[in-house]
Amino acid sequence: MNAPAGLDLASIPERIQSEVQRAIQRSIKGVEYIASSGPALGSTPKDILAVRGTMNLYHYRPVADEIYRVPILIVMATTNRGYILDMVPGQSFIEFLLRRGYDVYMLDWTAPKPEEKSLRMEDYVLDFIPDCIARVQQDSGETDVSVIGYCFGGVLSLLYGSIFPDGPMKNLICFTTPVDFREMKLFQNFADRRYFDVDRLIDSVGNVPPEMILSSFEMLRPASRAASQVQLWENIWNDEFVKSYRMFDRWATDTLPLAGEYFRSITKDLMWDNKLYNDVMSVGGHPANISKIKVPILHAVAEHDHIVPYDAAKPLIQKIGSADKEEVMLKGGHVSLVAGANAIKRLWPKLDSWLGERST
Amino acid sequence: MANKSNDPVAIWQTMIGEMEKGFNSFANQAMESPEFSKVVNQVGGVTAGAQKQLGEMMEKYLVGMNLPSRAQMVGMAERLQSIETQLNEIKALLQQNNAAARGALYPAAPKPPRTKRPPSAGGEPT
Repeated sequence: MNAPAGLDLASIPERIQSEVQRAIQRSIKGVEYIASSGPALGSTPKDILAVRGTMNLYHYRPVADEIYRVPILIVMATTNRGYILDMVPGQSFIEFLLRRGYDVYMLDWTAPKPEEKSLRMEDYVLDFIPDCIARVQQDSGETDVSVIGYCFGGVLSLLYGSIFPDGPMKNLICFTTPVDFREMKLFQNFADRRYFDVDRLIDSVGNVPPEMILSSFEMLRPASRAASQVQLWENIWNDEFVKSYRMFDRWATDTLPLAGEYFRSITKDLMWDNKLYNDVMSVGGHPANISKIKVPILHAVAEHDHIVPYDAAKPLIQKIGSADKEEVMLKGGHVSLVAGANAIKRLWPKLDSWLGERST
Repeated sequence: MANKSNDPVAIWQTMIGEMEKGFNSFANQAMESPEFSKVVNQVGGVTAGAQKQLGEMMEKYLVGMNLPSRAQMVGMAERLQSIETQLNEIKALLQQNNAAARGALYPAAPKPPRTKRPPSAGGEPT
């Protein structure tokens, strides 16, 4: 009998041997996987400058002999933990920035407590961010601060920049930041105002539980969790794969609850009325129109972002008032844009060359 | 060496990948319909309502059993949080005082100078 075209019969025993070895390794490593804890994440040395309820401000200890004049404040998304930007040595965006000579601060969030359910959008935009900026100024001795906002951290940074257009924000970098919420089609459908009674939900639960946030993210790609577990089993013999899987899986499932009033405002003002895109957004009575922002801005978007589709992020650069503005579209998804092997090759060097020029 | 079109492992991996894409795409189409939103939110609304009612009933039951209710526990948590905040403030003050005292004995390591320039402006590439 003839072998099918392309099949080399001589390689079959070798292939079977390799698969048997992998099967044995899977059994050994599978037990190790269950018995061991994952890698330690977020371990770049840092000092906690301030803790106020859900708000945490860190300062990462500089490692370069000489640093840029302008410090950076990273504003994390309120749904997730900041250690996505500080996974493990060699795969940490924070470590990369420190080595490239930046002075890095991070506004990170912890789960709001039940009594913080009344936190509103204005608490985040008019209190937490300005408070952190002031502390960064005091700690660094510099007036100017560059701001990096990730996902909804980018939205908060845009709102802050629109209300305080005269500074002290010197540069703004947004990662995958939505502006036109109509284009977040599935989230729009989940939050359809005809059927989604946000008032009833918030009045019942106080803070939006993390399980609800996680399931709304997972519903965007309902088969991916099961498929990733199959991939894990196939690759469990591969230590590097397992390490990376554990890091990202832990982060993705480590979702934060959202303060009730803040969620109510996101739903009504952004998801339902699309106020940011329609230039009618206000926070605590202050108009927040992104055309007021004039500082240099870089917006990094991902080609295959299923959480913030490109059409939702695209108007940022069109609507912002800055003359020095750039959008860069890179391969990858919502998370792989900022962390992981692709980010190391693509986003980080791009950001360094853009920001270095503007940090003196 | 077998090529990928005949490699059973590669075929299996491709099949899983394609199934994932296909199912995601099919589910996304279904989730874009208004009917999906209606059903999900009705179920979610009923669950939230039932949770609220159950919470109220439990509250009454716990009062009857002379046990602390959730509201009382939340009140307690608030007081604990305020104590924690004050402790953090005291800790920060102590750290500042310690640092000041240490600084008097051993001067702190100098912060790096903020003089770095990008390579395009003649700065050293890192």
